Amino acid sequence: MSAVQPTLKQVGVSAPRSDAHAKVSGRAIYGPDITLPGMLHAKLLRSPRAHARVVSIDATAARAMPGVRAVLTRDEIPKNIVPFYGYFIKDQPMVALDTVRYIGDIVCAVAADTEAAAVQALQAIKVVYEDLPVASGIEAALQPEMPALFEQAPMGIVPPYGQGASAVLRPRKNVCYEFAYSTGSADAFAGCDHVFEDEFRFSRMTHYHLEPFVSVADARAGQIQVWASCQNPFPLRKEIARMFKRPENQITVHVPYVGGGFGSKNNVKTEAVSVMLSLMSGRPVRLCLTMEESFLTNTQHAAILRLKTGVMNDGTLIARESEILLDAGAYSDASPLVAEKAGYRVPGPYRWKHINTTCACVMTNTAPAGPFRGFGGTQASWASESQVDMIARRLGIDPYEMRMRNLLALHEPFMPGESGVDSDMREGLDLVCEAIGYHGRKHDNSGPVKRGMGIAIGFKDGGGVNKPAQARVKMSTNGDVFLQCGTVEIGQGAHTTLAQVVAEVLGTRVERISYARINTDFTPFDQGTNASSGVAVMGRAVMRAAEALRCQILEFAAREMKVPVAELALEDATIVYGDKRQPLAPLVMRHFGGTGYEFSADGYYKPELDHHAPLEAQCVFWEIGWGAVEVEVDTETGQIKVLKLVASGDTGRSLNPLVCRGQEDGAALMGLAQTLFERMVYDGSGRLLNGDPLTYRVPLAEDLPREFSTITQEQGHGPGPYGSKGAGEATILPIASAVANAVHDAIGVRITELPITPVKILEALGRA
Amino acid sequence: MPETMTAVSEYPLEFRLNNQPVRCRVPVERTLADFLHDDLGLTGTKLGCSRGVCGACVTLVDGKPVASCSTFAFQVNGREVLSIEGLETDGVLHTIQQAFVARSAFQCGYCTAGMVLLTKSLLDHHPEPSRELIVEWISSNVCRCTGYALIIEAVEEAARKLRAERQP
Repeated sequence: MSAVQPTLKQVGVSAPRSDAHAKVSGRAIYGPDITLPGMLHAKLLRSPRAHARVVSIDATAARAMPGVRAVLTRDEIPKNIVPFYGYFIKDQPMVALDTVRYIGDIVCAVAADTEAAAVQALQAIKVVYEDLPVASGIEAALQPEMPALFEQAPMGIVPPYGQGASAVLRPRKNVCYEFAYSTGSADAFAGCDHVFEDEFRFSRMTHYHLEPFVSVADARAGQIQVWASCQNPFPLRKEIARMFKRPENQITVHVPYVGGGFGSKNNVKTEAVSVMLSLMSGRPVRLCLTMEESFLTNTQHAAILRLKTGVMNDGTLIARESEILLDAGAYSDASPLVAEKAGYRVPGPYRWKHINTTCACVMTNTAPAGPFRGFGGTQASWASESQVDMIARRLGIDPYEMRMRNLLALHEPFMPGESGVDSDMREGLDLVCEAIGYHGRKHDNSGPVKRGMGIAIGFKDGGGVNKPAQARVKMSTNGDVFLQCGTVEIGQGAHTTLAQVVAEVLGTRVERISYARINTDFTPFDQGTNASSGVAVMGRAVMRAAEALRCQILEFAAREMKVPVAELALEDATIVYGDKRQPLAPLVMRHFGGTGYEFSADGYYKPELDHHAPLEAQCVFWEIGWGAVEVEVDTETGQIKVLKLVASGDTGRSLNPLVCRGQEDGAALMGLAQTLFERMVYDGSGRLLNGDPLTYRVPLAEDLPREFSTITQEQGHGPGPYGSKGAGEATILPIASAVANAVHDAIGVRITELPITPVKILEALGRA
Repeated sequence: MPETMTAVSEYPLEFRLNNQPVRCRVPVERTLADFLHDDLGLTGTKLGCSRGVCGACVTLVDGKPVASCSTFAFQVNGREVLSIEGLETDGVLHTIQQAFVARSAFQCGYCTAGMVLLTKSLLDHHPEPSRELIVEWISSNVCRCTGYALIIEAVEEAARKLRAERQP
């Protein structure tokens, strides 16, 4: 017997997605398609004030209006529930209590027979406000005279951290959480030839998922059922249980197809209100937000990042101190987790003697910021990869050489106690440099329109922290396979790629595998569809479940056939024994009777707890995005054109190459949009100026650069099935800095604030 | 019956939907999107922005793409409407739908019905579109997931296949 690896048949091919037919035919059911008999429609009254005391609410007229079944104000909240939600800090009320903290804060909710009746009723509610000073952004919130958004400290926790990491709740006024990480000694700066200090600013985007936030809640008959457009059904169940003081087994969360999230659909959004209104009215209640309301519900984090970096003359990086201030908005949401990640990731993919970083979540009177594709890594990469480039140019070193000199080697730990980096980053950098023609580049920049090239490496830990995964795989008598796990199909193709893994292990085809609909009563527990964890974390649990199932079936067959199990193989519900092929079904019927049987096996995976690892568990995999960009800048108009963009991620092994390419294309274009134009514009008094689909600009097909390509590397070092690792966030990370670096290359000036607009370019050139 | 319902005036509506005649009365303020999605249960028409910007709710009216969220139902009186549900023939996906499957030209799928119908109209009017024309048309709809490159490839593939199907 030779030790030849069996050829993979199901994995590594671009199998049509298992959700394809449902989605292209219009049959796929999403949250807004769910209706129940007798269902009411809810609408929200939102604060027109950025920061104000709520003096009085009079909803008498609204209650008396036709079709109105329930009106929720602070006065209707029962004493026996906890009206606050959040992640580490429970500070967001289901409706405003004594204070509103941003324009769009939820003040009241109405459930009525129709949406129109609910909207009419909202207009009849009279609220008297008394304005408070507005913290319109990070700097305003930190002014000494600015009052605290929260007078009392909300309930909150700091999770345990490992080597070098720590955090504090509410270290100072209007900072809800501060993360810190340190390694090595600050003395390292003393030995540096140069120390550079630079500041960077990061604008914020809204997720702009096309499917709105929506939930349908039915709290009749003891059981609370919620159909939600949600990417973490089990934490949502836990949060509803905690708020409404119900056992978790009296709450069921159902998740249909989700029409995009990009982070926003984690945790409570509409659900607390729809559940409360259902309890009040005794009817099912649907709360579907508009896109304008999405802008007011969850956003990315704007940030100020200050980096102090010590280097040697030859470009060797030695030490970095950094201070990051995230604009958390009015409620903490996932900000503490984003702060952890932004703070931890700011060293980038390089070798250091000393790191000392802090990242603070600053509370402002703007929409709450939360999880967003890249999760702090985008902010950190923007600053770090810009500064590395600036330092290279200051020292007269090619930015490529500077990076090559300092990059961590394959398998070298990111930080003490941390796991080794699982991509060869030099290989990836060479790949994008070659694809764009970086080394031989020659630009004739004698005219007013100048060209330049820039490169960058975005970097984040992937797979979440200490995240468990469970999966169940079942096979019926006839060989039909059920895959059950909590990974939500949000567009990333998880149903397909995980089914490909099962098909490979069981020797069957993807078409024979169904992905069971998510229902928290039946689906194995999962922490959520986030952190690019679908393949590298859940994939391992799925693979183990499939392997356990295969084992179980083969052992059963061996007993029935009275042959050694080691000599059996499973191929699409057929037992292969030498040149004999024995269908499984007759064996099952003989043993279990005519009604048959269902084999069922579970799989589990969790990273080890490890106090030496800074975040208490080693990172599961490293999600790395390489970018190379060629730009043309018109020095007379400031116009910037991206001529060529090459972005690359390393999937380890692409379980489905087209699905992986889709992730990398989409993330890269999202990054490019943020670089050039896409952002939420606040006016300095807490008012969002472009909070609607017409004036908020997202990328269209015409925004694709003339030459746009993504290259999926398969370096093979991933921890997931068949060497795979996660995808979906890598290529958003390097784009902004690669463009800024290219602009610098073209016109010799540095833009340190996103987006990079013609006005900023003219200002930098001294021509504005 | 709530009072708000009785005050609403209705419009007698007669049109063809997915090759079937429809006759009914519809409230004057009812949008085509709500009429299809809520009243007729054709949930393939997706409401995204409800402002006629994102294109998720695109249906074809007399072969031309319209944002059904920004069209009143009564406006399709006497017209021919095609929603995503009308594109298959006898359970077989249309060539355009097949191309979207083959190129993985969707992710979350929420924009897909609109994109597919937009493509149908494009290819009905321009059977041999240049890449520039495809980009111009596709730019009237938003896809937040794919980055568009695979959608453009799917449209190109669909155009090729439809041309081949027309060859004798």
